[in-house]
Amino acid sequence: MSIEVKNLIKTFGDKRVIDNISFKVDNGETLAVVGFSGSGKSTILKLICGLIQPDSGEIITSKGDIAMVFQYSALFDSLNVADNIAFALRERKELRKKYSEKDIRNIVAEKLELVGLKGIENRFPSELSGGMQKRVSFARAIVTEPNSILYDEPTSGLDPISSTLIEDYIVRLKEETNAASVVVTHQMSTIERTANRVIMLYDGKIVFEGTPDEMLRQDNEYTKQFVTASLEGPMKMMTEN
Amino acid sequence: MGSLQKYYKQSATYKIFSGAFIEFESFLDTLGKITQDGIEVIKCILKGQIDKKELIDQCNRFGITSLPITLSIVGMTSIIVASQVALEMVKQGGSNFVGLLMTILIVREVGVIMSGFAIISMIGSSLASEIATMRVTEQIDAIKVLKVNPIRYLFVPRVLSGIIMMPPVVIIASAVGVIAGAVTANLTSGLTYRAFFDSAWLGIYMKDLGVCILKAITFGGTIALISCSSGYYAKGGAKGVGEATNKAVVWSFVAIVIWDMFFAIAFFF
Ligand SMILES: Nc1ncnc2c1ncn2[C@@H]1O[C@H](COP(=O)(O)OP(=O)(O)OP(=O)(O)O)[C@@H](O)[C@H]1O
Ligand SMILES: [Mg+2]
Repeated sequence: MSIEVKNLIKTFGDKRVIDNISFKVDNGETLAVVGFSGSGKSTILKLICGLIQPDSGEIITSKGDIAMVFQYSALFDSLNVADNIAFALRERKELRKKYSEKDIRNIVAEKLELVGLKGIENRFPSELSGGMQKRVSFARAIVTEPNSILYDEPTSGLDPISSTLIEDYIVRLKEETNAASVVVTHQMSTIERTANRVIMLYDGKIVFEGTPDEMLRQDNEYTKQFVTASLEGPMKMMTEN
Repeated sequence: MGSLQKYYKQSATYKIFSGAFIEFESFLDTLGKITQDGIEVIKCILKGQIDKKELIDQCNRFGITSLPITLSIVGMTSIIVASQVALEMVKQGGSNFVGLLMTILIVREVGVIMSGFAIISMIGSSLASEIATMRVTEQIDAIKVLKVNPIRYLFVPRVLSGIIMMPPVVIIASAVGVIAGAVTANLTSGLTYRAFFDSAWLGIYMKDLGVCILKAITFGGTIALISCSSGYYAKGGAKGVGEATNKAVVWSFVAIVIWDMFFAIAFFF
């Protein structure tokens, strides 16, 4: 139940988005990944869960499911909330055998309650707010009881209370399942509440690695710029060329 | 040498040829992907990985929702043809062959190819844009991360519904076409229904019906497969969805005409 990434390189066209990155996330550990928009955070998650292939490097994950909470929810818009959450349980052969329809209904209700959205089973994704979609997406991802969980900005766009709810749940899930988690986030509250370690990406490389406390101490010029949200510093807003 | 190469690369000849080469490459790439997806679909079907509920939904969409358009197009085509030839044939003393000509035309070609065109515009475009939207909104990525085979989940019920529903659609459309032809012939040339249908039966053999159904199966499967595949490899946002839909329609049109030519050569040469 750990994730290890070694010397990862990924290029899109002639842009090297991930430039020789290595890190490890142990069981029961949560790694936060921060960085500018376009610094390759989502790309790293997609590499880990195998949606895209690296140019070179190694990704070692332990057996079992890897779940992903997508940045823009990626809910199935032709299915209602209940069917979205139950998707893997119904469509995967080994899980379909394990659960009856009644079990599935109970699991769906339980997961919905967990993310604070009790009773919206029959609504469609287009009838939900962005934040609600995000929480449903969260419920859908964890339904298979995964060993590794990747969160792409799980709390962005949520109100502070919903954020706290999700953050608490990320922590609880990690403690219960001992899963290895990677959380991409911009939100300091999410970093502080969920992460054991933080890496910061800039220009395809890791420019900071440490604990959330170390990050807040701002003794690295990159973390200083990030935490103070300053335009001055080593990191320049990337332009497309 | 280096500068020569630079000039060469700016020349119109180079641009035209490299442009043509890129086009050809993307043509082969598309063809390869469609074939590969088709093989995967067949594998899933052989393994019995078919979601019955989803299949019924897709059959409903393919066969029932398209029916008004398909019937009108085939019916109207046959009205057009009958109104052109019926009077002329009756005048030339060929009243005994109007029904025969119309049925041969409809059963062998018009029914199936016009239904194909109608299905492409109704169903093909909607399949492609639906799946392309799923691609650009990362829903297909979500399917993969949840460890469900997207070909099995998305392609199989859609392609299978095309294969199952196209024959009945073509048969109903052809029947409507023949009736529309008879009515038109009657109205334009005064040919009796009796005379029309007496000769109508003379022209069709079991072989014609068999080939018609075989064609319908092939067209239905091809349209659904090409449309799914075009959507599946969509790139980018709204523009990508548009391009995928466009590709699905163009490729399906060309593909069924090629199939039709193949059938004509193989069975009626
Ligand atoms: N499929 C792709 N094809 C081409 N370029 C891509 C692709 N996916 C991502 N990129 C490029 O890679 C870079 C990193 O993208 P990524 O989505 O990983 O950024 P991010 O750090 O998640 O940004 P954000 O915080 O805005 O979500 C961007 O410059 C993007 O344009
Ligand atoms: Mg991102």
